[in-house]
Amino acid sequence: MLKVTDVGKSYGKFTVLKNIDLEVADGEFLAIMGPSGSGKSTLINILGLLDQSYTGEYLLEGKDYKDVSDNELSQIRGDQLGFVFQNFKLLTTYNVYENIEVPLVYSKKAQNNKNALIADVIEKVGLTGKEKNLPSELSGGQQQRVAIARAIVNRPKLIIADEPTGALDSKTSKEIMNIFTKLNKAGTTIIMVTHDSEVADYAMRTVYIRDGQLYNDEKSVRNHD
Amino acid sequence: MTDKIMIAFKSIGKNKNRNFLTMLGIIIGIASVICILAIGDGFAHTVTKGMGNHNTRNKVILQWQPTSDYNTDGGFTQNDASALAKIPGVDHVKLASSVTEAGAKVTYRTKKTSIGLNKQPKHLKLIKGTYFTMTGASNGIYISEDLAQKLFKENALNRLITVNGTVFVVQGIYRISNMNYRPDAYVAKTTFKQLFASQISRDQAKLYVQADANKKQIGKTAVKRMKQMGEEKKTGKYSVSHPDQISKQFTRILNDITYFIAFIAGISLLIAGIGVMNVMYITVSERRKEIGIRRAFGATSSDIRNQFLIESVVLCVIGGIIGIIIGYLFVSIINAFLPFKAIITPYALILSLSVSTAVGLIFGFIPSNKAAKSELVGLLKEE
Ligand SMILES: Nc1ncnc2c1ncn2[C@@H]1O[C@H](COP(=O)(O)OP(=O)(O)O)[C@@H](O)[C@H]1O
Ligand SMILES: [Mg+2]
Repeated sequence: MLKVTDVGKSYGKFTVLKNIDLEVADGEFLAIMGPSGSGKSTLINILGLLDQSYTGEYLLEGKDYKDVSDNELSQIRGDQLGFVFQNFKLLTTYNVYENIEVPLVYSKKAQNNKNALIADVIEKVGLTGKEKNLPSELSGGQQQRVAIARAIVNRPKLIIADEPTGALDSKTSKEIMNIFTKLNKAGTTIIMVTHDSEVADYAMRTVYIRDGQLYNDEKSVRNHD
Repeated sequence: MTDKIMIAFKSIGKNKNRNFLTMLGIIIGIASVICILAIGDGFAHTVTKGMGNHNTRNKVILQWQPTSDYNTDGGFTQNDASALAKIPGVDHVKLASSVTEAGAKVTYRTKKTSIGLNKQPKHLKLIKGTYFTMTGASNGIYISEDLAQKLFKENALNRLITVNGTVFVVQGIYRISNMNYRPDAYVAKTTFKQLFASQISRDQAKLYVQADANKKQIGKTAVKRMKQMGEEKKTGKYSVSHPDQISKQFTRILNDITYFIAFIAGISLLIAGIGVMNVMYITVSERRKEIGIRRAFGATSSDIRNQFLIESVVLCVIGGIIGIIIGYLFVSIINAFLPFKAIITPYALILSLSVSTAVGLIFGFIPSNKAAKSELVGLLKEE
């Protein structure tokens, strides 16, 4: 699915990421763990083509997107990637249906069966009957379900989730992880940032970030300390 | 496109108060544009209608003007007319008069005076006597209050006066107001034709020209010819007259006024535009999170720019439409006070809507561009 070679990023003198090497296979479910401020979001933004200013090489399905046009990047983001954020990032004045519709507005595919696509993902995340509700009328868990439905409505190959359970209690977190597991079983590759090891246990593999560097197991992180 | 306009309506509806205040400038600007154009168009319409819609396309009008006040009854003769008709390109010639009033001499006993006289109009308000249309070669006459006072001390009705040797009976007296010009006396239509029409100097020659004729050249030749052989060349001057000259001048003054007020409307629209730019800047900075979300889910930067541009244009066009409605109401009100009728033309409506759209595009562009160019990672940190 993707391959990262010697990727680095710094803000002025401050280095956020250095010497990152990472490979993710098709259909994998990867968790990235690390303390706050260690560079998890920075890395995942690069992987999700939200940030192009880095050093090193990043190939998504064998293609380097560092110097492609804004239009092409936008199209890949809309059609092949799906984002889930910690604080849901829903449009507060739009109802559930309209929030899930956002990626379809900009997508070149699937304009005629919009309603069917939206109804399908609403059912998948278990929100049938809530189409007309505003985000403020929903619980945190329900809002994250809306966000997941929005992320998968275009049937992306890769889901990028930045602390998807960060704002949820452990029971709700489990429900969300069950949805993720189902999606992964159905073939979607998932990369998820978390600092909850229980959540990370749902993934097939976990990598660790400490001070901008990536480690493949917890031991090596400790050795580094 | 319609769903994009719906998005714009939705966001504008969210901040009704703020957006209404912004629209106020546009509303005032457009309402004044509508009023200016309505008054201008109405005035121009009235003036051109008043000018009698001279059709000068196929004729050249030659004018004879007396060189002294004593010899005013000269003009063109039949001989002149035949000479003019021989000019190449001229089809036929008609003689006419720029004034319809005949000069005449009135006597009553020992009193004598000169007057201007015309055939009676359809309606006339009298202060004495009753007004009716006299038939045949009637010898009735209506005279002005001024003339009555000059001739008689009192009781003018039914007295006999002599006009150019013919006796007339005074049928009624009318007052000449400051507003309306009227001659000193009116007689029956037939009587006027028989006795006075020949008195009117034929000071105009209308040269009807062929379709492809050079009117300028014909005018020059005609004037030259009349200067050489015109029968009244000693008592007057010949020139080509331009009946539409006055209306042209009027239109020019009117245009100047229109441009001036349009300039003021332009300034108010400029101020309105700055208001629109300001409110769009606020909108863009308030909605960084929304921009980030849309960008992450496939919106290109031009999608974002268009979204805010459409919003800015919709805002201005709503303002423009309200402005048109208010302008319409104003025009209805001022029409009660104007001496002519102000009219709103389709052109004025199109112009108003185009101007509103242009204000939205021009002043929405920089904020929209700012929204489009914002860095995505920064946008997604917004809450
Ligand atoms: N725009 C920025 N300018 C300077 N430093 C930044 C900027 N964005 C993030 N950082 C820094 O980069 C580091 C990593 O941030 P981030 O990737 O968000 O961490 P995490 O997601 O692991 O909590 C932090 O120390 C943060 O302060
Ligand atoms: Mg983070």
